[in-house]
Amino acid sequence: MLKRLILAALLAAVSGGAVHAQQVEPEEFVLDNGMKFLLYPRTEQPNIIAAGWVAKVGSANERPGITGISHFFEHMMFKGTTTMGTEDAQLDGERRRSQRALRDRFLELMYGEQYERWRKGEVTDPWDPEQFTGELDELRRSLKDEMDTHKEEIVNNEFDQVYTELGASGMNAFTTYDLTFYFINVPSNKFELWAWMESDRLNDSVFREFYSERDVVHEERRMRTESTPTGVFDEQFDAMFWQSSTYSWPVIGWTSDLNSYTEEQAWDYYHTYYQPANLVGFVVGDFDPAEIKPMIREYFSRLSPGNRPVPAVVTLEMPQLAEKRMIAECDCQPQIRVRYHAVPFNHKDEAALDMMSNILNGRTGRLYKSMVEGAEIAQSAFGSNDARKYGGLFEFSATTKGDATPEELEAAWYVELERFKTELVSEDELQKEKNQALADSYRRLQSNFFLLVQLGYFEGEGGWEYINEFPKRQQAVTPEDIMRVANEYFAETDRTVAVYRRKEGGAPEDPEFAALKEKIGEQMAGFVRQNVQQLQSVEDPAELEEALAQMEANKGQAPPEMAPALDYLMKKVRERIEELNAE
Amino acid sequence: MTTKNKIQMIGMCGVSLALIGGVAIAGIPDRPEDIGFGELLFDAPEAGDYKATLSNGVTVYLAPSKEFPLVNVSLSFKGGSYLEPDEITGLASMTGQLIRRGGTTTMSPEDMDERFDFLAANASAFIGGTSSGASLNCLKSNFDESFGLFMDMVRNPGFDSERLRIVKDERLESMKQRNDDADSILGMEWGRLMWGENHFEGSAATEASIKRISVDTMRSFHGKLFQPGNMIVAVTGDFEPGEMISYLEGAFSDWQGGQMMPNPPSPDHKFTPGMFHVEKDIPQGKFRMGHRGVKRDHPDYFALTIMNDILGGGGFTSRMMKKIRSDEGLTYGIRSSMSNRVHYPGVFVVSSFSKNPTVALTIKYALAEIEKLQSDGVTGEELETSKRSFIETFPRRFESKAGMLNTFVNDQWTDRPAGFWRDYRSNVEGVGQDDVQRVANDYMDPDQMMILVVGKWDEIYEGDIDKRASMAEFFDGTVTHQPLRDPLTLDALPESTSDGE
Repeated sequence: MLKRLILAALLAAVSGGAVHAQQVEPEEFVLDNGMKFLLYPRTEQPNIIAAGWVAKVGSANERPGITGISHFFEHMMFKGTTTMGTEDAQLDGERRRSQRALRDRFLELMYGEQYERWRKGEVTDPWDPEQFTGELDELRRSLKDEMDTHKEEIVNNEFDQVYTELGASGMNAFTTYDLTFYFINVPSNKFELWAWMESDRLNDSVFREFYSERDVVHEERRMRTESTPTGVFDEQFDAMFWQSSTYSWPVIGWTSDLNSYTEEQAWDYYHTYYQPANLVGFVVGDFDPAEIKPMIREYFSRLSPGNRPVPAVVTLEMPQLAEKRMIAECDCQPQIRVRYHAVPFNHKDEAALDMMSNILNGRTGRLYKSMVEGAEIAQSAFGSNDARKYGGLFEFSATTKGDATPEELEAAWYVELERFKTELVSEDELQKEKNQALADSYRRLQSNFFLLVQLGYFEGEGGWEYINEFPKRQQAVTPEDIMRVANEYFAETDRTVAVYRRKEGGAPEDPEFAALKEKIGEQMAGFVRQNVQQLQSVEDPAELEEALAQMEANKGQAPPEMAPALDYLMKKVRERIEELNAE
Repeated sequence: MTTKNKIQMIGMCGVSLALIGGVAIAGIPDRPEDIGFGELLFDAPEAGDYKATLSNGVTVYLAPSKEFPLVNVSLSFKGGSYLEPDEITGLASMTGQLIRRGGTTTMSPEDMDERFDFLAANASAFIGGTSSGASLNCLKSNFDESFGLFMDMVRNPGFDSERLRIVKDERLESMKQRNDDADSILGMEWGRLMWGENHFEGSAATEASIKRISVDTMRSFHGKLFQPGNMIVAVTGDFEPGEMISYLEGAFSDWQGGQMMPNPPSPDHKFTPGMFHVEKDIPQGKFRMGHRGVKRDHPDYFALTIMNDILGGGGFTSRMMKKIRSDEGLTYGIRSSMSNRVHYPGVFVVSSFSKNPTVALTIKYALAEIEKLQSDGVTGEELETSKRSFIETFPRRFESKAGMLNTFVNDQWTDRPAGFWRDYRSNVEGVGQDDVQRVANDYMDPDQMMILVVGKWDEIYEGDIDKRASMAEFFDGTVTHQPLRDPLTLDALPESTSDGE
């Protein structure tokens, strides 16, 4: 009881005035063309402004055939305009048109005879240049020549160069399933530069290097997905988990689609999703709103208002009716992922699911205590709640320790899950997470740039006000809420499981142990392993000698099927005794 | 051309014209350089203005800020893994981990973790290659309790043996993954080849060296480093400087002693120029190439910095990115760096990746950029862009208070010459075109480089489909195949050794 009182006093100290203090209240205004801006002046970090804008479009807005176009389009936005990136806009236009003609012809042949050759089995990969027909290869070379000629006239990366020499830094962009965000830091006296550059590229991009840039994206795909230990399998896991949702393909797109985008598709995409009403700008840092608002008006008003509705993402995820499972072999630590469909961004249950993941994580979290330190079967283990605009998921993931198998981790997860379903989390446990969530709600506002990214991200997902509201919802979560969501969102039929095993040739398992596992089964072998691991913490040989003697004595009474386990265990005890005597 | 395509093209022209037509608005300059920007006055902060000395001799830097009810205390200690005994590689970093994870002499690890988490205080400790530290970020409202717990952790770590066993096991599990990722193979092998496996920059822990770590070795390592005589403190966040000084005086009043640790040793290993390779079945080959460079406080520091920026350090605006990513589409990223060390010469290194058949072409073009810079120098415009960038982004170095104090702490440990930041911008301004070309010739030598590639050798060696480059053209086609190493012992795996081409 005394402990409770101290906790209550401490909580009061922690939360006094806090929820009010962390409010972010930017000034919001909208141009006639529909583009919205949020201005948030702060003087704590002098001389610098972080600025950016979000386009409320991502790979979830795509369809088969153009998967990855949102990300590719992001690359295109750095390639210049009729002013940036060329000294002769007219010649530049001619070069682009002749490349386009070659590429259109190339695609016509590709989808015609080359795909036909693939259907018949005459080639294994229709896009592999080594397997091209003479005419296709001719076109590939001509296009390459055209692109090389064009490059001599392009003012290479001028967009970045102008920003760089005028003191901007950290220019970049990212694309997610739901949004595309472009950002940079500029010195306080250079806000107008940002307005010039960003409104120019929104108004007048020409998609220069439309064909050559996709080689860069292929390399990006190889880097992120194909040359990492689990990348290609993670992608397959996503595709297996999402059935009808447009989250089933990767943000970077399928390989064949990456080759295929046409300029017509890109322009259509631009006029649909980059309309001012689908864009929101953000400015955070050391500036005077009265000074920059006229600049924003002047520059961004040159964007023509959109002339078409932004299409809704119509397809909802179908309910999952049966468990799905994949088994991958890779150059990777054996690991497990168990995933469930959960809730979209801003859903009423998001905070409870989020708190559930917090209770699982961290050094005082349940997973560390039960799997890393307790049973010693995990090297690491996490729970995560991922709420997106059109759907969400909750995932348990863990990597194995020692000889533990992914299946043991999976079984251990179901035990943890059952606890959530049947026992209320304690007030202390929940309060600890609330205290941390509150302190983190300050920490995450400290950097201008990080604050900018969060505003953009939340606005793209559904509304920037989330930055103020979500911490309050976290504080309101009750133990009953957590028990309810655990029972609501984690049905056995709605789970998708990925098992990753180390490919042969990697670190081998102790062959004796493998043989034992064959004899006594996975579960019993797990107990044996835990016993063997505990041996490592015994430092006194005498204690082990005693245990050994006891095991000898009891051996005769053990059931015969357990004999191999006892033999193995005793062997390990002897090894440990020798080890200790040698030290 | 089909009729359909013609229609598409007309449509596109129409779009372009409409857009161009929209640009001409009164008041907007034709080019961004034509905007009349206001002046931005910025004076580099002086470390002395933030500095105080406690009566036990410890330097404290303070930079308060009222914006959030948080306090951040950072203790910095000189020294790191170069101080560990040769046979116990891994001791330093594990000691850092155990300081945070092993409880205190009077509190169990579990209780300490629970208390920090309940207070919502972020506490950490680390021992790196050349520097070490511990930091606390907590709410102002519970600073006293959090700081007390934190100092108990820093001064009286428990090194709980059960936690040590868990941490050792974690380390072994992550070691097992050393060969899973090409970048990890590249980093390990590069370190061995460039610095030698006996220098702390090239050495790596093995299962055997980890097993030699004991509670006693950690205690003695901690006892040497984490002492007030070897410490600098930085405090940011919501506090009154005067009160904080008195508070720290009180908290440290019974804490004396300790020696300042020596500087890291120079490597005695001589690396061998040439082509090296480690086999890995992935579609994209990754490489690093370079040689030794210069010390940080070198008289040509500014010319070298500008030269590297123009060559490959300056992101999209650098020559290597323009040529190899933007023009040729050979990679997603390439960069060069003049990676300086304070006490011995650092390295000049170029790193990138490309699909296996175009690795040779990427290397060829990267080398060509170096040679072009040596023979033709840089244009006045390039030089100006680079200089303006360093000068205009200079205030960002001091943007966050914690970052600013970190710079001061680091400068004090490494004896950065006085006035370095004060004169920084004028020194950048003073670099001329001839300086850049001179240092390009003096400090880069393609013939003396070591090139290390990880990827599928048969595809890499063969080169690209258009026969623009193959690996046969570097070092007369000679390559040394480095073995894949047993991740736990670092001994060569038998099946991975193969003969040179």
